[in-house]
Amino acid sequence: MSSDARPTSEGGQAENAEPLLAFADALLASTPHDPGRAAGQVQQYVTFFLRDDEIGIPILQCREIVRIGAITRVPEAPDHVRGVVNLRGRVLPAIDTRKCLGYESAPATARSRLLVVEVAGRAFALLVDRVSRILKLAPADIAAQPENAKVRSAIGVARDGNSTIIITDAERILRPGCASEVPTPRSEEA
Amino acid sequence: MEELFSSLVRDFVDETAPIAREVGGLLLKLEAVWTAGGDAKPLLRAVRGGLHTIKGNSAMMGLAPIERVAHALEDVCAQVEGRQGREQAAQLLFEGCDLLLALIQAALAGSVDGKLADAFVERARASSEAAAAPKMISVSDESSPPAEAAGSVPPVAMDSEEGRGTARIADREVDDLLELTGETIVGHTELARVHGRLARGQFEASDVALMDQLLTDLGRTTREMRHKLLRVRLAPIATLFRRFGRFLRDLARERGQAIELCIEGGDTAVDRAIISRLYEPLVHIVRNAVAHGIEPVDERVARGKPAKAQILLSARLREGRVNICVADDGRGLDLRAIAAKANAQGMDTGNLSERDLQRLIFQSGFSTALSVSNLAGRGVGLDVVASVVQGLGGSIDVRGTSGRGTVFVLDLPVTVSLQKALIFGVDSETFAAPAGFVLDTMESREKNMQAIGRVLLVSWRGDFVRAVDAGRLLGCQGLAQAWARPYAIVLQAGNKRGALLVDWFSGVQEIVVKPLDESLAGCRMIAGATVLAQGRVVPILDCVEVVRRTNVALLPETPSVAKAEASYDVF
Repeated sequence: MSSDARPTSEGGQAENAEPLLAFADALLASTPHDPGRAAGQVQQYVTFFLRDDEIGIPILQCREIVRIGAITRVPEAPDHVRGVVNLRGRVLPAIDTRKCLGYESAPATARSRLLVVEVAGRAFALLVDRVSRILKLAPADIAAQPENAKVRSAIGVARDGNSTIIITDAERILRPGCASEVPTPRSEEA
Repeated sequence: MEELFSSLVRDFVDETAPIAREVGGLLLKLEAVWTAGGDAKPLLRAVRGGLHTIKGNSAMMGLAPIERVAHALEDVCAQVEGRQGREQAAQLLFEGCDLLLALIQAALAGSVDGKLADAFVERARASSEAAAAPKMISVSDESSPPAEAAGSVPPVAMDSEEGRGTARIADREVDDLLELTGETIVGHTELARVHGRLARGQFEASDVALMDQLLTDLGRTTREMRHKLLRVRLAPIATLFRRFGRFLRDLARERGQAIELCIEGGDTAVDRAIISRLYEPLVHIVRNAVAHGIEPVDERVARGKPAKAQILLSARLREGRVNICVADDGRGLDLRAIAAKANAQGMDTGNLSERDLQRLIFQSGFSTALSVSNLAGRGVGLDVVASVVQGLGGSIDVRGTSGRGTVFVLDLPVTVSLQKALIFGVDSETFAAPAGFVLDTMESREKNMQAIGRVLLVSWRGDFVRAVDAGRLLGCQGLAQAWARPYAIVLQAGNKRGALLVDWFSGVQEIVVKPLDESLAGCRMIAGATVLAQGRVVPILDCVEVVRRTNVALLPETPSVAKAEASYDVF
């Protein structure tokens, strides 16, 4: 009996930001700002950290914040889905938010949380490094992304004192993976 | 106070909406009898009975507009007896009945539109004055429930049609459930007592036997409870099928053609969750059958078919699943048109069998309607139907004979949520295999295994079954020499078998099936997930796919290299 283990394939390899930026630009060009959102009203955003970047999404899309329990791997899940989690009997996909936004994946830490969001009636658990705060922003507070920005599918950036917050929403975070659902390549049934 | 009132309104809607639907069904029969020239009195009486009940219920709730419409409809019924103008009356009754239903449902939102009601009442009055009934016949037995007179339709016990998720339970069933709950609580109390003694270190010799007994009892009561609750979720599929009576009548009128609806197996009990989600797909299939299948009258006559077309809706239980058929006696599938369409889309159809050609209609962007009519060509394809059916854990197929008709067959589970499954583990991961696919479990000793080239076989009851290491197939991280696993699970899907080599398995147990999000739709080997004890989520295998892949899986070229690369030779 052999007991030598296969090498574990660590998920994230370092990604170059350049192609991502091009990708993000193309994406933004193809998705004009939501007119309903530009209505000039102050909105609240929940912010969280990925590595050193603070990212905000509308509070209206957030359901709750929970500690990370067991994540069950699902065979052949797309790259950005870590697996599924049990939220009071509901089974939700656990989204590797880092991967969705073009960061390297990282193992969860004690401060990592699941930010449960709801998009078009579907609920997802976004894995984030830590949840930060709630911000009130008017559309005018959100500026275009600077040239050196490295976050895919951002709407813009907001400034709060010394910190810069990247503003996006759950749809945009989920879009690259969920829209084009291309799992690992394999031959398909004819 | 407000809460009380809204719960009363809910009760009113739950009780009254089915009656309105019931009346709608009776009207269809009434119209048929009028056309055929039979005795319509019992039906008319039943309709009036239903209307009267609606009137009474809404008066009690102070919903005057509904009351007025019901009253006006009663008048229409009263005046039509023994006189002409039936067609006009029928139309009024149909419209009024629709309006009643809409108003009743609007009551839930607290927005019953009095103007709509008044407009209708006014029209009904105008038409009855125009007809100027010389005498009115009073019907004495107004309060008889509609179903009795109709003779065939039982009172609707469950209203699943709106998908609002309310079920009506007989008092007796509630009592049974309460009793079982009581027994469970008593069992828990007893267990707590024993536990208390144990915690204090006061163990009694009889405690083991006592706990044995308590656990057995608890197991029985909880099982029974679940069984009874499950029955509450079931409803006769007739509640779904009957809605097509009216739908077809209107479709047929639009086409100026008679179409008869035949229903078979209407009392087949199916999960309400399935029933509520099947309406849209069936509407699509039926509409399709009428638009593409059923020929115009002259064409039918020319082909020697009866002028009156038929649509059959049937349900039958088969091997723990329900098969629903939608059949029409129209012109059947036009294979040549399908092939032409496929060719136009750049598909090579030369080597496709007849069955494969037929199944092409479930692909997106496929519509062979010659003309885009009101019926067809609405942009929703059969591919959407197929995906809804799949979402319910079912499949859809079509068979047609040119010139004789088309049959759509939907194969669905009776209930969406509960399944028996075998739980097994490989490496550090746990999976569930639906028990219906599990033929056998066995120890996989080396003498049972045989590799021919890169094909791994396990001998099972004198047969050879293709085998694959479950860890490798499912991409688990861990050790993997193909025959290092101590157990094999033999699966059968259709006429194919396959064996999964696993580390451990536990007995078959009932699991609650939870669907997976669409973002995981690409995981073809996984059909859903379940939550086991301690909240652990466990993927459920799609055994059809797993068996298919097992039968094309090959051993790694040279095992040692493959191990290092963790490569996958499974498809």
